[in-house]
Amino acid sequence: MALIELKDVSKLYGFGDATTLALDEVNLTIEKGEFVAVMGPSGCGKSTLMNVIGLLDRPSHGTYSLSDKAVARLRPNNAAKIRRDTIGFIFQSFNLLPRLTALENVALPLTYKGLSVQKRLKRASQMLDRVGIQSREYFLPSQLSGGQAQCAAIARALVNNPKLIIADEPTGNLDSESSRLVMELLADIHKMGNTILFVTHNPELTRYATRVVYMHDGSIIHDEKTTIGRVAITARRALYSQPQTNEEDDLAGVSSLMKALPSKTPKRKKRASKVAAKPVKRHKKVIAARSKKS
Amino acid sequence: MKSLTRGHLKAGVSSVRSAKLRSFWTMLGIIIGVTSVIMVVAIGEGIKQQISGQIHHMGKDLITVRPAQLHGSTGLSSNGANLLSGLNISGSLSEKDVTTVSRSKGVTASAPLTITTGSIKSEGVTYDKGFVIGTSEDLPSLLNQSVEFGAFITYNDVGSNVAVVGQKVARDLFNEDVPLGRSFTFQGQKFIVRGIFNKFNTTPLSEQADFNNAIFIPNDVAESISKNTAPTYEILVKANDGQTAQVASSIESALKKSHGGQTNFSVVEGNKGVGSSDDILNLLTRLIAGVAAISLLVGGIGIMNVMLVSVAERMHEIGIRKAVGATNRQILSQFMIEATVLSLAGGVIGIALSFFLNLMLRLTTDLKPVISWPVVIIATGVSLLVGIIFGSVPALKAARKDPIEALRSE
Ligand SMILES: Nc1ncnc2c1ncn2[C@@H]1O[C@H](COP(=O)(O)OP(=O)(O)O)[C@@H](O)[C@H]1O
Ligand SMILES: [Mg+2]
Repeated sequence: MALIELKDVSKLYGFGDATTLALDEVNLTIEKGEFVAVMGPSGCGKSTLMNVIGLLDRPSHGTYSLSDKAVARLRPNNAAKIRRDTIGFIFQSFNLLPRLTALENVALPLTYKGLSVQKRLKRASQMLDRVGIQSREYFLPSQLSGGQAQCAAIARALVNNPKLIIADEPTGNLDSESSRLVMELLADIHKMGNTILFVTHNPELTRYATRVVYMHDGSIIHDEKTTIGRVAITARRALYSQPQTNEEDDLAGVSSLMKALPSKTPKRKKRASKVAAKPVKRHKKVIAARSKKS
Repeated sequence: MKSLTRGHLKAGVSSVRSAKLRSFWTMLGIIIGVTSVIMVVAIGEGIKQQISGQIHHMGKDLITVRPAQLHGSTGLSSNGANLLSGLNISGSLSEKDVTTVSRSKGVTASAPLTITTGSIKSEGVTYDKGFVIGTSEDLPSLLNQSVEFGAFITYNDVGSNVAVVGQKVARDLFNEDVPLGRSFTFQGQKFIVRGIFNKFNTTPLSEQADFNNAIFIPNDVAESISKNTAPTYEILVKANDGQTAQVASSIESALKKSHGGQTNFSVVEGNKGVGSSDDILNLLTRLIAGVAAISLLVGGIGIMNVMLVSVAERMHEIGIRKAVGATNRQILSQFMIEATVLSLAGGVIGIALSFFLNLMLRLTTDLKPVISWPVVIIATGVSLLVGIIFGSVPALKAARKDPIEALRSE
């Protein structure tokens, strides 16, 4: 029984000449307990996919079932309740309410569940403890570092015990140290049995995932689960052959990855294999780490 | 790092402060509306109570006899309590009428009020704010007003140039509190001050003359000085206990007889005129309160506007709240509560301001506003209602916003 099942899901923005096809008949099935990384260049529809799966947005076409329940055409209030009870969102820009303390921010989803103030503050405090920033309970978001803010946001996403955690570029605004911290935290949460979907530009971070999905122009062009073997390994080789330290490098990594992938234009394939032909020491370590994990 | 934290703190404080400032502007309309409604009604009520207090002071069984021209006029001018409605007088009563009235059956006391004009001088000081009234010995008991120093005019003073003055005259003309035995000239005659009245209570906004400015002399002296041209505007009469109505009608018939069957005068029982003046005052109070209520409405529109701006500014917040599971109804109620709290707070501040203004008016003016609790409660209710009605537009706008659109706005 799949947790998430998307069938021919499309999302169009605008109309007439200005129509953008953000999702193009996407089919995706995610089982309970998976830790899925979604990669792809900017504007390829990753966020749109996350928003549709997270019930923040509705698909224009197609069907979506979450826990075997059709949710593509829910009324706003029902969607809100599912978001509240089964989905935890983590954003690139943290999205904490600036006027509330870390504790109050974490307690926010519980407010909408109707818990008493005491209960929700207690639970929120436990969650902050779990993400390791309990000492920052009474800090305002502006007084937290990026990593701490994202930890608070993760605590907020977790506070309702959601089945599904969706993180849209959770490390996009963080330095590498904080990114590692956040990813370790997500991996921890995954070990507890949660299903996690996250978007990243940093190929290195896919090592935490159990499955990587690649998108391009609104379509899933590669999904490890459905295509196992050569292409995926090639793709990974392409990834890790680039030493990545900053965002630009991340992007470069992604584009080189994209070139490495089997693409619609055969020209790209040649260039991609060139890149793949120069493996660096480092990638072995990463792959070793990954295989140990699985 | 430390300075960074401090910077964040500063930013936080200033944002809270700016929110407070905005809240204040939001509430301002409500504050003004509530304050003005409460104050208008309170001032009206205060004047009413002062007037009726004065009537009570003078005795409800007081009968006022006036020249006929006043008879048919409306409430304001036939205000029975107003002893000298100088503006409305066009006829007069004669000395003979004064006698007729005083001899009518059941009359225990009566006094004419005859106004004499002319300048008042004493040792080079000219007093022009005051006026001279010819009257008789019964006046203090009719007005329920006692003489503080000296004595009032008596029977024996008929024809002699003695005077009893109000406190303002004492101070302004003689420059002392107790000018007993001092003299002044009026119409070429010299008068000796024989007594000083206690302070008369004054009623703000009423047309009644301030007796603190008056000089009282024997009625016959006043008549003779003016060669019988000084008009008697009013005769005040006190009847036997509980017989006011009978005595009033017997005065009426006696006067009618002496006027050869003509009813060119009016006899008003003391508390009758009050009713009509109350009506007018009530009407006016309601009218002005209505205008003030409109300002409450304007305040409501103000709340709506500020809330709309606030909703637009906080779209991102709304998006976050929706993302973590707030339903449309929960967002709606959040903003409704905000609007209601703002308007209710405005109402409470308005009420507090009213009590403060009430105190200030009592301390600095003759007004004695009386804040009535029903009005306070109604004003609170109305401000609550205004919050609910005008808060609903922005709240609905916030609630219906698509979550992803809200999240995207910054
Ligand atoms: N609200 C919108 N209106 C119009 N076009 C949009 C909107 N949101 C996203 N798009 C378009 O949809 C495509 C996918 O966007 P997005 O899902 O944000 O990409 P990603 O997250 O992968 O960078 C882009 O071409 C973007 O321009
Ligand atoms: Mg995106």
